[in-house]
Amino acid sequence: MKPTPKKAGTMHLDNVAPDSLQGIPRQRVNPPMWRRTSDEDAKDTWPAFVSDLKDLGININEGRAKRAIFVTDAGGLSYGMPDGVFSPSSATDIAEILKAAQRHVVPVTVRGGGLGTEGEAVAFGGLLLNMSSMQRVVDIDAKNLTARVEGGIFWHELAEVLRRKGLDYISAPLNFTSTVGGVLGVGGVDTNSPKYGLSADQAIALKVVTPTGEIVECSPTENSELFNRVILGYGQFGVIAEATLKIRKFTPMRMNYFYYSDLRTAIEDLRVIVEGEASDYSGILTIMDRAITLLVGFDSKEREDEFTKKTEPKLRGHGEIGFGLRMAIYYAFRPWKIGESLYLLKRRLLLFPDLMRREFTGKDGEIVDRTVIFSRAVWKHWGSKKMTIPDLAAPEDKFIEAVERGNAVCKKYFKYYTLYCVGIKKKQDAGDNHYEMSCVPKDAVNFAYGCEFEPSYGGGKYSRDKLQSFKNEIYDIGVDMDLSCYRFGGMMKGYIRRLFGDEVVERHLKMKQEADPAMILNKNTVF
Amino acid sequence: MSEKKKYKVDVLVVGTGPASAAASKRLVDAGLKTIAIDFRKLPRHKVCSGILSPRGHRFLIENFGPLPLKALHNPTSCKGVTFHFPSASSMPIDFLGGSTPHLHRKFSDHWAIEQSHVEVHDETAFLSLTTDGKKAVVSARCRGEAIEYEARFVIGADGPNSPVRASVYPEYSSEIPWFVVAQKFQPIIECPLDLDYFHFWINPKLGHYTWSHEREGRLIVGVGFKKGGNVDEHHKRFEDYMRDKHGVRLGPPERKEGGSHNFGPSIINRYVFGKENILITGQAAGFFNMLAEGMSCALHSGAIAGEAVIESLATRHPVQEVYREHIASEVNRSTDQYNPIKTVFDNVHEADFKSALKKLSRGDQLRAVRDLMKFISVYGDLNWGRQILGQSIRRLILGTYSTKRWL
Ligand SMILES: Cc1cc2nc3c(=O)[nH]c(=O)nc-3n(C[C@H](O)[C@H](O)[C@H](O)COP(=O)(O)OP(=O)(O)OC[C@H]3O[C@@H](n4cnc5c(N)ncnc54)[C@H](O)[C@@H]3O)c2cc1C
Ligand SMILES: Cc1cc2nc3c(=O)[nH]c(=O)nc-3n(C[C@H](O)[C@H](O)[C@H](O)COP(=O)(O)OP(=O)(O)OC[C@H]3O[C@@H](n4cnc5c(N)ncnc54)[C@H](O)[C@@H]3O)c2cc1C
Repeated sequence: MKPTPKKAGTMHLDNVAPDSLQGIPRQRVNPPMWRRTSDEDAKDTWPAFVSDLKDLGININEGRAKRAIFVTDAGGLSYGMPDGVFSPSSATDIAEILKAAQRHVVPVTVRGGGLGTEGEAVAFGGLLLNMSSMQRVVDIDAKNLTARVEGGIFWHELAEVLRRKGLDYISAPLNFTSTVGGVLGVGGVDTNSPKYGLSADQAIALKVVTPTGEIVECSPTENSELFNRVILGYGQFGVIAEATLKIRKFTPMRMNYFYYSDLRTAIEDLRVIVEGEASDYSGILTIMDRAITLLVGFDSKEREDEFTKKTEPKLRGHGEIGFGLRMAIYYAFRPWKIGESLYLLKRRLLLFPDLMRREFTGKDGEIVDRTVIFSRAVWKHWGSKKMTIPDLAAPEDKFIEAVERGNAVCKKYFKYYTLYCVGIKKKQDAGDNHYEMSCVPKDAVNFAYGCEFEPSYGGGKYSRDKLQSFKNEIYDIGVDMDLSCYRFGGMMKGYIRRLFGDEVVERHLKMKQEADPAMILNKNTVF
Repeated sequence: MSEKKKYKVDVLVVGTGPASAAASKRLVDAGLKTIAIDFRKLPRHKVCSGILSPRGHRFLIENFGPLPLKALHNPTSCKGVTFHFPSASSMPIDFLGGSTPHLHRKFSDHWAIEQSHVEVHDETAFLSLTTDGKKAVVSARCRGEAIEYEARFVIGADGPNSPVRASVYPEYSSEIPWFVVAQKFQPIIECPLDLDYFHFWINPKLGHYTWSHEREGRLIVGVGFKKGGNVDEHHKRFEDYMRDKHGVRLGPPERKEGGSHNFGPSIINRYVFGKENILITGQAAGFFNMLAEGMSCALHSGAIAGEAVIESLATRHPVQEVYREHIASEVNRSTDQYNPIKTVFDNVHEADFKSALKKLSRGDQLRAVRDLMKFISVYGDLNWGRQILGQSIRRLILGTYSTKRWL
């Protein structure tokens, strides 16, 4: 033994001095953030708010059944009831509501599809503005390849309208019910993000209702400051009533799959493809860190051929049969892992046919609608009422380590899980502050990479305590490695200062206070 | 005679320790009318080493915010645990993720319950309860005055002797083994032990549970043994041992304190979670991690009890069903720590036991493992061996511990 003599009573190393923990107020989990009559002298301003609006012909629905529809989101961990719900039909409606809300200091929570997972669109009291009543496609300009839509439209609905004309949106989340307005403020990542960037980067003009109720048309050239604030503005700087988006000609997606049993190799190969711009779509989807699938897709036969010639020889993945054989050998020597091998086999047999169903593919097996395929698969094979999908977004050089560390956390918490990795191209002509306080980490050079960590519950029921601990541990990696995350509002709010730093957050808070003096729009989700 | 004082609440939480603070925090956050009662006047003293596992530390920060200095003892932190083996070596084991705070339980518990914003009734003792499954009526007494609480749910977070548990399962206390733990505070004349660590002796001759660490310039000399033994004898033996073996010289004890505890349910997966709308949690339910670290599992199990109530109200599933489904992960955590298969093949402890062991010489490694096996034999007469093995094998094959062994 090597005793270190110590004088009795001396202070030893102390990593918990109170000031060392400042700026980590993570205690907020699910509080009622706005109580109409929380303390004695606070006036209940709600009735006057409702009656003011009624005089303008705007009738707030206060029925419990209506309010209860919006009690939680896709995450299912955050619960809160609004005092009333309104489904606007125009920017003018929204403007009147926000003006009254400023006057009476009533919080307004904007809700798109409610596909957030951290309660960003859950109202803890106040008014819930249900944007899914504004779902029209206003105009399609096939010549200049743009579409004007209302903010509450689901991306997938837009796709259906566009595809009838041989057109398509550029990139959008792979699910059915996220809305244009709910995504432009947050990001939007698709398998073609390595080529086109975030969905938010496809917007070229917006009609915004500011938190004080002005209706403003903005774009990079007109009212550009507001435009830049609202895009990737995490829902804080205005309600998106309409948006003009870049669109493109429709092409089905020609898919190639490569299989790996090593995470690091697969990610290195993904980087080769993404940074070499060798494909039109790419991503990694895994079953734990055992069976790793690298998906590579193309818009045309020519692109595919070019890839086959130039890039494919550099990749170290296997074909399905080769990989299956390797797996069989691996498990033959590890009989105690029989459970895991059966799970992999079951996944293979159930999931893969769903990714290649005849009714959703063309005659050469090309994917006609990737959203249908992936969204169905996600909900069917991963989904539950508590979608837990924390993520890390890293610059090029930190990505592998981030995924490996996140993978270790998944292992600690869950038997079965999936990792979903994708690259994101940064917009080149974007200003310095464009990605500030967004899911794109500050030191990404040309590409950022995101990895989602998705437990598969497999019938198991987990407490919120466990799921929240899991998310926190993933985000801790983000803090430790100086990364960013896709979902930092709501329940993960405590991480904002730690991820982005006080200086940046204070600056954004100041802008918010200027734009929204009563701090009513999406109160408490970020600031 | 005046009317009995009555309160009507959604949830009554009995106790104001860590399990209660965590449960209360969840319930208050969810907007449920909640009262927490404690028979002591707050802030109350608590016999405890105050060493927190990293997971407990993060729970406190995440839920209650940065710890105030007042909630810490001196030294303010602890680097890990040092094991002392009778046949030579000593092995310092660092906590994974760095030092953790040395809590002053009187103030840390009070701070946590205050941060939960629950309404607290102190000096209010739980006496008894009746329930029809939907509504529980609790009788309590505050400074001689009778009080009645009507609650939709009662959470017993009332520690080792849990009167709530006793009112649901009157026989329980007489059916489990009890252990006495007692600590004396002695001035340090000379102490070559590294005081950055909590020290634990793997030595059957000294008793079931033998520990020491520094607090406010004193050395705490602690002993634990099966109920029935004599504190001073155990204590004298341990003090002599520390002097002869480690050269620790101490002044006469200035203070002594102790109590009896229910170590065991976690080891053999015999937890008590309550009945109908009465939930039992924290140490009352039997949660204890290795080395009597009970705060982190009290916090997490308390939170889960609170969440179970919320979820039960939201989904209309019976609360016991929800609680038992959700608590399984915490049961795995705690019971895994005593599971020999998990200990060898997995990383179930929050301190890096394996790499600490690797640092010893080959011979010392063997001796350490042999000493550990011998140490387990002090628990031999409790008939836990077969139960541990049975549960461990079940965990290996089915991935879970049996829920049928829970009360
Ligand atoms: C199963 C599943 C799969 C997913 N897959 C992907 C994926 O592949 N790629 C990806 O990028 N994301 C994915 N997501 C995440 C999801 O797409 C994003 O969280 C998205 O922001 C949700 O959009 P929403 O319309 O549902 O927004 P909501 O959750 O309703 O709102 C999100 C935020 O935007 C604000 N907001 C909503 N509408 C407006 C508006 N009109 N104006 C201003 N602010 C508004 C809200 O107040 C809130 O703060 C997935 C989520 C789930 C549950
Ligand atoms: C000597 C010793 C050292 C320990 N060292 C550590 C350590 O270093 N680290 C660690 O993590 N754990 C340690 N523990 C264990 C830890 O103290 C417990 O596991 C933990 O306090 C359990 O928390 P709890 O909230 O379940 O119960 P408690 O903290 O015991 O809280 C129960 C509360 O219920 C109240 N109560 C009891 N009866 C009634 C009644 N009739 N009416 C109203 N209220 C009532 C009590 O006053 C008390 O406030 C130690 C224990 C002992 C004995």
